[in-house]
Amino acid sequence: MRESYIQRQRADHGRRAVAVLPIHYPKELLTALDLLAVEVWGPPGAPRGDAAGRIQTYVCPVARNALAFLASGGADVVDAALFPHTCDSIQQLATLAADFGGWSKPALTFLHPKGFGRPSSRRFLAEELRALAGKLEAVAGRRLEPERLSSAIRLHREIDAHRAALLDGRATLPLDDPDLYALLRRGEWLWPEDHLAELRDARRLLGTAARRDGVPVLVTGYVPEPIGALAVLNAAGAYVAADDYAAVGRRIVREQDDAIADPWDALVARYAAAPPCPTRAADQDARMRYLEGLLERSGARGVIVHVVKFCEPELFDVPAIRRTFAARGVPLLQLEGELERQLSGQTVTRLEAFAELLSGPGGRA
Amino acid sequence: MILRRAQYELASRAVGPFLAALDDWQRRHRKRPPRESPFAPPLESLRALKDLMTVHYFSGRYADGAVPVAWVTSGFPVELLRPLGFHTVYPENHAAMCGVQRLVPALSDAVEAAGYSRDLCSYVRSDLGSLETGRSPAGRLPRPDLLACCTNICQTVLYWYRDLAHRFGVPLVLVDTPFVYGEATAHQLQYVADQLEEAVAVAERVANRRLDRGELSEAARLARDGSRLWGECLDTARSRPAPWTGVDGFFHLGPIVAMRGTEACNAYYRLLLDELKDRVARGIGGLKGEERHRLLWDNLPVWYATREITTLLASGGFNFVCTTYTNAWAEASRLIDPADPIRSAARCYTQVLLNQDLPSKLRLLERMARDFAVDGAVLHSDRSCKPYSVGQVDLKDRLASDLGVKALLLEADHNDPRAWASEVSTNRLTAFMESFA
Repeated sequence: MRESYIQRQRADHGRRAVAVLPIHYPKELLTALDLLAVEVWGPPGAPRGDAAGRIQTYVCPVARNALAFLASGGADVVDAALFPHTCDSIQQLATLAADFGGWSKPALTFLHPKGFGRPSSRRFLAEELRALAGKLEAVAGRRLEPERLSSAIRLHREIDAHRAALLDGRATLPLDDPDLYALLRRGEWLWPEDHLAELRDARRLLGTAARRDGVPVLVTGYVPEPIGALAVLNAAGAYVAADDYAAVGRRIVREQDDAIADPWDALVARYAAAPPCPTRAADQDARMRYLEGLLERSGARGVIVHVVKFCEPELFDVPAIRRTFAARGVPLLQLEGELERQLSGQTVTRLEAFAELLSGPGGRA
Repeated sequence: MILRRAQYELASRAVGPFLAALDDWQRRHRKRPPRESPFAPPLESLRALKDLMTVHYFSGRYADGAVPVAWVTSGFPVELLRPLGFHTVYPENHAAMCGVQRLVPALSDAVEAAGYSRDLCSYVRSDLGSLETGRSPAGRLPRPDLLACCTNICQTVLYWYRDLAHRFGVPLVLVDTPFVYGEATAHQLQYVADQLEEAVAVAERVANRRLDRGELSEAARLARDGSRLWGECLDTARSRPAPWTGVDGFFHLGPIVAMRGTEACNAYYRLLLDELKDRVARGIGGLKGEERHRLLWDNLPVWYATREITTLLASGGFNFVCTTYTNAWAEASRLIDPADPIRSAARCYTQVLLNQDLPSKLRLLERMARDFAVDGAVLHSDRSCKPYSVGQVDLKDRLASDLGVKALLLEADHNDPRAWASEVSTNRLTAFMESFA
């Protein structure tokens, strides 16, 4: 489906496409240059093909699967690949694929600063954004016009506003979690205006359903894979009331749609305003306060920490998350996966037991 | 504070050296049955090394409250801190000591109980476990006043030091080095230089004194000279036979990591270099028997099994004559410019091995393989060190195809023996050795 969509974008609109590895990248730049961003979160499942064994099994499946996917031609329909500076594994993936085989088209990097907030970080980010823009211009075959960048920023602000509204109002949305996440994740590969149309349609459904009963939970983690986990949760009487997935909620920037005096400044500001994420070296205390805020606003009664095995940025925050919610007496379930396509029986049992814990007579901690 | 300072100075200048000398005397007079070993007698310099590191760690027990203390990553431009009088501690070096003494499973268990994953770097688990349990082979590490972290070796140190900052409630200075794909750009180097100046400002506040730029230049000169001396020591292994084993280098690395930018460090390496040159002149090798095959080691050591691995290989006449790990502290020394310490540090520390792309690593491996005339390579596929290990499958293949160097990918972990399968590894190493027949 994606491949035909990408081909139609090229045929109908002359748009070229860029495969983008997780997590944080200036999508606004691609939009402004009429480049379609197609995010590669895995893909899930076992890595296949000759490249499957080129990264050791103790490296996260995001990197392993991506290399196998790229090397097997899975992304040949795009014109370039973009590797953000998310972690050591994706950093190494960029050079492994581009320099040692697996990706022969342009391989771009976006080295977003760690520990943002210092004057040096802001200056560097501004320059890194401009440097990336230059490389993207070469892929797009056109120059970036400031007005188009401003328009792109406004478009993505609107998209984020709709995504935030859907997540915040999910209790009255007639969509189960798998359907909601399927909708939200289409934004990983749809042209933004197409995604915006779908979001607007979905937003009209807000308030049309009776308020969900069921136990609200907060989920924090990398990516909602396999989506079956959310189906099990719903069937067990719980639902995701607050989202801190890196693939979803953690990339929604809640900001005012103020006038844009300088689009580059606005882009830096959007980066600074994004929710805390360990891959951007966010202050850990600030992240814990943010998660507590999510819990309080959503009324969530439990926390699910859904990490990908070997993901160091996420795993380093797990002890703090456990301590934070233990101090509040909030039950917590930690799930660890390797981007499997199917849930294991053990995971199903654990999810069901957790939902039962939260909803049973003694479930309210 | 005055009393504490007196204790620190006494520990550094008198008690520490006395204890080191006493330990040395006891060691020499201890009646031990001679141990069968395929190695030549240990370097005489080893005694001086032990004395140096003993005094360093012993004086460290009295450092907090006496002088400002900084915990530092191994790739941090420590010369910035020397003129401010910091006593520096390297948690990685301490973690390696824990690894050698096989303390890591117990230390890791303690932090795993708190929610830390066993998949995290075993240096981190060692360090945090030591803090949790109070167990340390160094007796006691001084509490830091400052944490100084540079991401040129990995991103993991950022999370590690952020955790330490939370535990100790002290400032963390971060030098975020952009990964180098091809060449470092001007704006990337400027970013690093800007961060170094920001780091200086924080360090000055903690030390309660201004950084004397003249003293900084002198510290940079000492760091450059120390790295160069270390590189000369490593280069003696180009001789045949190599006067020491590359694995000896793992232990003699201590001063350039923990004491870089000091005259004591440089004095030690001058001593070591003299001894190595003497061995070269007299044809004394690191192995007792014939050095039949020369090997390169890639990645961190397997600290708890180094003797096991090297003894097996040495018994067959195989000697590790070079390692990418020890080379890392010599490689970028030529970039340090005492006349421009901040900007040259930005260039130098951005271009360390682990902050460069795979073609750079391959060029280094191939250059080392040629310069040291190696016949084979062992690439340690280190379970908890992603930046060093990702790409090794391809690097191994390229060494074989480009240079005809037989290469083995050996699975282990640098510090956690629970990731080491002795029988399996012995079988693989033995088969590797037999492939040279």
